[in-house]
Formats: sequence, structure tokens, C-alpha cells
Amino acid sequence: MRPILLQGHERSLTQIKFNKEGDLLFSCSKDHVINVWFSHNGERLGTYDGHNGTVWTIDVDSQSRFLMSGSADNTLRLWSVQSGKCLYKWEFPTAVKSVAFNETDDQVVCITEQRMGFQGAIRVFNISRDGDGTRQASEPAHIFNPIGSKATVCAFSCVPNRVVTGHMSGKVAIFDYKTGEEVDNNERAHGDEVTDLQMSPDRTYFITSSKDKAARLHQTKDLKVLKTYTTETPLNSAALAFGKPYILLGGGQEAMSVTTTSLRQGKFETRFWHKIFEEEVGRVKGHFGPVNTIAVSPTGTCYASGGEDGFVRVHHFDETYFKAKPYGDLEVLD
Amino acid sequence: EDAAEETNISAELIAHRKRLVDEWNTWRVQCEEEIVDRRKGKKGERRGEEAKEEIEVWIDEVIEQIEEEISE
Repeated sequence: MRPILLQGHERSLTQIKFNKEGDLLFSCSKDHVINVWFSHNGERLGTYDGHNGTVWTIDVDSQSRFLMSGSADNTLRLWSVQSGKCLYKWEFPTAVKSVAFNETDDQVVCITEQRMGFQGAIRVFNISRDGDGTRQASEPAHIFNPIGSKATVCAFSCVPNRVVTGHMSGKVAIFDYKTGEEVDNNERAHGDEVTDLQMSPDRTYFITSSKDKAARLHQTKDLKVLKTYTTETPLNSAALAFGKPYILLGGGQEAMSVTTTSLRQGKFETRFWHKIFEEEVGRVKGHFGPVNTIAVSPTGTCYASGGEDGFVRVHHFDETYFKAKPYGDLEVLD
Repeated sequence: EDAAEETNISAELIAHRKRLVDEWNTWRVQCEEEIVDRRKGKKGERRGEEAKEEIEVWIDEVIEQIEEEISE
């Protein structure tokens, strides 16, 4: 597996996302910039300039037409993927920590941080796909303030009118975004901050990673925990492989303790675990700092990791990955 | 006797794995059915037209690769 190193960010990566076809990779960083790359060769296609703070989160729609980004400059922005132009900007009192499109690309959900006397909020915006996309409603279609632990990550559920959230305390919850009601929760989903939440393609299950060193697979409709993957390092990201029964985990020590640990001791690998058997199957080294974010191409042919070191590494799976059957002839549905 | 024991254990493990996979697959089929039901129930159902876009496939061939080891 020969990795392609994407050099273009000057500070640590916060999130990376593939488009549906897997030919484009979007990355955002603490350097205020969003980049888009060709995943096959690592060539940079363009940048989305405008944010005046760390870009914490991005998501691209299924048509590769609109890109959403949320930043520490307290704005949520809508971009044209093709032209790189900012089409619309929403301003809030605090930073935007997580953003995600729905299945039909006509809504986004975002989390704004609880800070300086402002409550944390979850907003759902209707996205107009008419015309050039510059005419958007300035106000959210729905807004509510979850009480209790701060929400850190969010996504639309497979159940209509529901969003799933991960929290600072380790809680995972389901909200009805029309009423703001917490419909269901699992207070003990994790023992510490939930750092990532990625949905399966049909949204019937999702994976979370946590600072508590574990990742978990949950059933979306009722938050039943299906699988648990326990590692020995705090996790920043968890992703589902497609077409193969694996999950990918990334993490490492906190950024502040990196300098006190030798590079050799660092556990900066992307770990592959068997999704069903809950066993580690392999590791891929590479980053010189914690792995902050992992994404797998929807085509299942490559994955990428973004690190605290400012690099994005794209790994195209080789033939052995597809041919290998370490557990014999067992067919596992995605 | 040891060898017999070993094959016994691995047979058990294989059976266990098969059970886990069967359990998972059954659940996945159930999920699919639920999704189909949910979509049927939706009024004004939107037909997800699969846009058939041509996607170029690049073939990236390694002609020569030089790996340099830089000692610290």
C-alpha cells in the first residue's frame, strides 16, 4: 500500500471527507483553509478561502455540488464545489463544531459550541438547491438547545426528523429536531468525549470513537451497542470500510503530550479492526503525530488519514487487501 | 491428544465466528427490509435517480520508486 502524501496544510487536520464517487477528497484544518484533492494522485484541485479561524468540520453533498463548512470564526458556509466560491454564510455567537448533510442533500445539521454565556445549539437548515445556490434562508428551520453535556458530533438518522449526537460526557443521543426532545439516549455509550461519528451508507448503524480509547458500533434506531473495539490509546476518529468487514481507528496521545514522548514510542498508526469479531487485524504507520481524522472512500478502494502533523495520507488498497481472507470464506454483508 | 485438542478449539472458534457472521447478516437483512418499509410508507416518494455520470479511471503505474532513508 503505497501512500500518497498530500502537502498543503500548514497546521493540523480537523476533518477529511470523500465525495460519493471517491474521486475527490476534501480536507479542513486549523490553518483556516479547506482543500480539495484528486484522490488518485494527490494533486490539489483547489482551495476554499474565506474562513478566519480553524475550520472544524466539513461535509460534501452526494452530487459533489455543495460543500458545507463550520469554523471557529463562528460561521457556517456553503461553497460551490466546482468554482470554489462561497455561496452563503450564516453567522452565530459561537464556533461551529460539526456539520452534516442529510440523505437527500436538502438539509444540514450543525452544532454550535456552548461558550461565553451562550448555550450550545443544534440547528437544522433547509438548503435550497435552486439556481446558483446563493439564495438561502438566513434562519434555521429548526433549532434547539440540548441540556446536559455539550454535543460534539452530529448526523441525520435513518429515521425521519431525527438526528443522532455524540457528547462531551460520552453520551450518545437521539433528538427529534422538530420538537428538540431527546427521544432516546445511552449515557454510558462512552466513558469520555465522543470524538467522531460516522454513519453506514444506509444510516441504520453508525460508529463512534472516543477519548476513552474505545470505538463502538450502534444501531441507529435505538442506540443499541452492537460491537465494541477497545484500544490502548485515545481515539480521534473511526471509519467504516466498505465492501470489507473492517473498521479503521485513529488516535494517539493528546497534542500537548506529544513533545514529551519520543516519536518511536508514539502510537500514530491507523488501526484496522474486524467489524464483526472485534479483533485488531492490522496497523498502518505514517503520521508523525496523532491521527485526527479518517475517511474511507465510498468505493472502498482507498482511505485517507489526516494528522496533527498537518499531512493527509491517501492509501490505495492493493490486491492483497481485496484477496485476503484471513477468516476463511465468510461473507459479511456491509 | 494435544493436536486433537487444538483442532477442537479452532473448530469451536470457527463455529463461533460463523455464528457471529450469521447473526450480523440476519440483522443486516432485517435493516434492509425496515428501510424498504419506511420508504414505502413515505408519501410523495422521491425516486432516487442514479445519475449515470462517467468517471474517468486513472491508472497509476509505478515505473521507479526510490526510497531514501534519512537517519535522525
